[in-house]
Amino acid sequence: MIRFLLRMSVLMLLACAVSGCTDFIEPNQLAFVMGTAVDHADDGEVEVSHQIVIPTQKSGPFGGSGDSDSFVVMSAKGKNEFEAIHKVQKKMTRRLMPSHRQLIAISEQYFQKDDVSTLFDKLNRDPANNLRDITVLVKGDLAKNFLLLDHPMEHLSSIATGKEMEINGMNRFSTRQFIIDSLSEGTRPLVPVLQIEQVKVRSKETGPIAALSGFAALNKKLKIAGFLNDAEGAGAVWMSGKGTFHAITLPWKNGKDTLSFRLTHLRRRIDSADGHDPQRVVLTVMAQAYLLENTTSLDLSETHYMLEVQKYMNDKIREDLQLTMDKVQEWGSDVFGIGEYLHRSSPYWWKSQKDDWDHKFEDLDVTVRSNVQLRSVGASGTSFN
Amino acid sequence: MKVSGYQMFWLISISSLIVFSFLPMHLAVEQARQDGWISILLGGMIMLAATWITLRVCMQNKDKTLVGFVKELLGTVLGKIIVVFYFLLWFTQMATIVRGMAEFQNLVMLHNTPMALILVCMLFLVAYAVYRGGIIAVSRCAEIIGPLFVLLLYVQLFLNPQDMDVKRVLPVYADSGWLAILTGTLHSFNYMVDPSIVLMLFFFAENKRTASRAILWGTAISMLWGVLATLVLVFVTGPHIAAELVVPVYSLTKFVSILNFVQNIDAFYIPFWLFGAFIKLSVCLFILSYGISEWTGFKNWRLIAWPAAVACLAFVLFSAHRIELSNTLKNAYLIGLVYPSLYIGLPLILWMLGSLRRRRKTANAA
Repeated sequence: MIRFLLRMSVLMLLACAVSGCTDFIEPNQLAFVMGTAVDHADDGEVEVSHQIVIPTQKSGPFGGSGDSDSFVVMSAKGKNEFEAIHKVQKKMTRRLMPSHRQLIAISEQYFQKDDVSTLFDKLNRDPANNLRDITVLVKGDLAKNFLLLDHPMEHLSSIATGKEMEINGMNRFSTRQFIIDSLSEGTRPLVPVLQIEQVKVRSKETGPIAALSGFAALNKKLKIAGFLNDAEGAGAVWMSGKGTFHAITLPWKNGKDTLSFRLTHLRRRIDSADGHDPQRVVLTVMAQAYLLENTTSLDLSETHYMLEVQKYMNDKIREDLQLTMDKVQEWGSDVFGIGEYLHRSSPYWWKSQKDDWDHKFEDLDVTVRSNVQLRSVGASGTSFN
Repeated sequence: MKVSGYQMFWLISISSLIVFSFLPMHLAVEQARQDGWISILLGGMIMLAATWITLRVCMQNKDKTLVGFVKELLGTVLGKIIVVFYFLLWFTQMATIVRGMAEFQNLVMLHNTPMALILVCMLFLVAYAVYRGGIIAVSRCAEIIGPLFVLLLYVQLFLNPQDMDVKRVLPVYADSGWLAILTGTLHSFNYMVDPSIVLMLFFFAENKRTASRAILWGTAISMLWGVLATLVLVFVTGPHIAAELVVPVYSLTKFVSILNFVQNIDAFYIPFWLFGAFIKLSVCLFILSYGISEWTGFKNWRLIAWPAAVACLAFVLFSAHRIELSNTLKNAYLIGLVYPSLYIGLPLILWMLGSLRRRRKTANAA
């Protein structure tokens, strides 16, 4: 009898502990945070907004026009990020769960006035965060307004931006990559920029959509060194080794006709110019090109025309990328990771350079070369016009 | 109570891997940055040598446990005092692992559960296993848990291929220099494997030759894992973040994202780590109770398991409230003096004394 009672009491104790019922939170008591926005608020405070999905209100992938019921945005201000998040939690009926977060949006104003590196501590220290989300910069508006937007195709704007970046081949911009780039001395981060534009999606509806509109290069103190527009940004992404595919349109020599290519397998390689001099660096970009639109009169099933087009394409790409490289170099922000390459190839020389790499990068002589192979000219030879 | 060589292999490898996954990587990478793997490699070699020396000592004294042969070699009084140090060592190891486990659970999963409850659950299980089954039950458990645990730990290293950038480990040596690497080794080698449990466990091995080979293999496997894990850590997060992570193995599992679908697998890994911790804690409790029973002459070592577990619980609860006691990992006395002497110094002395005694015996017999 005694043994039975003893065993029962032990089992009860274990059952209580094993189910963790002191920390018991059902899924319908959780609020899944899909996106977070960080804004600058007055008096040195930070405003944190969370975009929280409400699963019960979703009515399928293409349900209704403007599913404004499928998410809410809750925000609060505080002296640092943790305090602001704590205040958001106080306003919530459910426990915030950031483990599925897709996106962190930081406004341009926050970059200019505050120190973004203070966010890193919270992201790294609190084990509830994963570093798999994407960090973006919202230009010209509060990051909170980005979260408040509807999206015509997706339920939440943060999911929409995450999918947009993935579909367009830009999946190396995670927060972890951002932190690694900010902490290492030879690279500077490159942050995608979202801008909110008015877009007419249906005949009666013109709504704001946040679209990817270029990239921002940051300097050592994580302040914005400069903005690259869409075309330059795509080139910079290619040169820093973070791109997966790309599409370019080149004007032909007579100025009127155009050739359009789709580039895949984007790669880049950095070498020293003559083997040992760290002051001169050659960056070679490589890709495979597929010609997909041709309005010139060339018959591209002829071999010598294909070679001519390949050479022309390489020259044009080289010129455009060299312009972008010079522009970024002027800002002194090494988003391409050339510093890291020099760190690895000439580590002792690097020790004298690394402290002021922003300025020293401006003096470096970087040549861009292009080695793009023309793989196919599509399904027809001459153009049909 | 006999433990086969195969079981011994799993016991040793699980014990070493548990301690390895908990502490040394953070300490080494903090000092040596991306050359942390060299520190771990050096430390592993040192510990492998220490294990070999311990095995030599055990082979010389095949029919006694630590308590027995220390008394024989060093005399009764000195022997008893030295053995007390080993008891303290095993006791603090148990306390460190248990406290680390409970604090980790507290931080990550069970925020509101009082730590006492988590501790009671684990320690009750460990004490019961030792009380009822002794080392045989524990080694049978290790036979089952071992392959799964080791396999999962190794597989975890390769789940991050898209995030690994091999170049992050370069430049080798140029950034840190030999001083930083050696400091990293010094800080971390004490926490890598645990050769002192071999001193007690060897007595229970069935076939001494296969057991010694198994022990060396077990240590080698955990050392290999340690070096690989440090390399993967630097590949995935780069040297700056890796130096700051306190529990790098856990953080590595958080980064895994296979096909954008299999994510957040750390919830899967924590239970397996707990299985391994159970084995390690049971081994420590067993040798502690058996050693105390030999030391005091109290025959029933099974009963001693309970007070020892309660004492461990009390110690952990007491030290959890005092920050100085719970953060003594880098204490210069401990890592420079106490641990090396217990792991390396004492076995060396015992080995030399044993060989001297043997030579004298053969000289006398001849």
